[in-house]
Amino acid sequence: MAHIHLEDGSFSLFWVLAWWIVALCLIGLALFLLRSKYKPEPKMITIAAFVTAAAFAIFQVQIPIAGGVHITLTPLIAILTGPVIGTLVVLIVNILSAAIGHGGWGLVGANVLVSFSEVLVAWFVFRGLKKITADLFSRAGIATFAGLFAGNIVMIVVILVSGIQGVNQTTAQILTGLSLIAAINMGVAVIEAFLTGLIVGYIGKIRPDILGDNRK
Amino acid sequence: MSVFKERKGQIIFGIMLIVVLVSALAACHMTGNMGIEKRFTTAVGLPPSEEEEEGVGTFFGFSAEGNPGLYVIILGMLIVGCYAAYRRFRI
Repeated sequence: MAHIHLEDGSFSLFWVLAWWIVALCLIGLALFLLRSKYKPEPKMITIAAFVTAAAFAIFQVQIPIAGGVHITLTPLIAILTGPVIGTLVVLIVNILSAAIGHGGWGLVGANVLVSFSEVLVAWFVFRGLKKITADLFSRAGIATFAGLFAGNIVMIVVILVSGIQGVNQTTAQILTGLSLIAAINMGVAVIEAFLTGLIVGYIGKIRPDILGDNRK
Repeated sequence: MSVFKERKGQIIFGIMLIVVLVSALAACHMTGNMGIEKRFTTAVGLPPSEEEEEGVGTFFGFSAEGNPGLYVIILGMLIVGCYAAYRRFRI
């Protein structure tokens, strides 16, 4: 759910490059792991393609709640593909989103980091909850809340660290404003949690192998 | 006690749901209704974008962000890619 919804020029060139470099390092690591340690099964390519298309399709749709919000499906990406392939999926979704004018090109690096944090946390929480409950709906729902909460925290940290060019707001004022956005984003996470829970629950019934509970 | 053990996941999910909903409603009440772009620019202190076109291309209140033509083209290409991947690798 979290996404830095600012235009190019909001961050200084230094921070645009800095976030891009960090994001590229993560992508490089993901590619390295895919080529060496975690070689994907062929079916995983199809699943990755499906979640990329679904996430791109839904991410661009503004839902008329609280004036306009959107869903990202990053926790679902995490649960179905894992954090390694998930990192590449969120990169593609963010690049394609920038290509159609949803978010600035310069912010793709920062937004990949935000999405990556959602993927990583959602994946670990979903896996970790296996010991606590077998109910897939609850596991997916809680993982969604945790992932999206992490994404909002990273979004706030990235903006506060980078600073916004040409504004007179104090850090405290920006933090207050962004905290309110994060709270509203988390409200939308309720829809996303139900959606993810229902999808994961359904897949768990008909094709539990796809969920990859035993996958690394 | 056994009910808690059986339904631990649902109880945790329910508690999170309530906390999240209450804080979201409070935040929404404080900021009022505004689009994503406006909410963001207001939060960080930037002037509102002049390009904001509210209500253009909406369908029951739902609208597409960015260029709708490019959205359809890219989505079409992704669907073709999914079909090709499914034919080649299955699931």
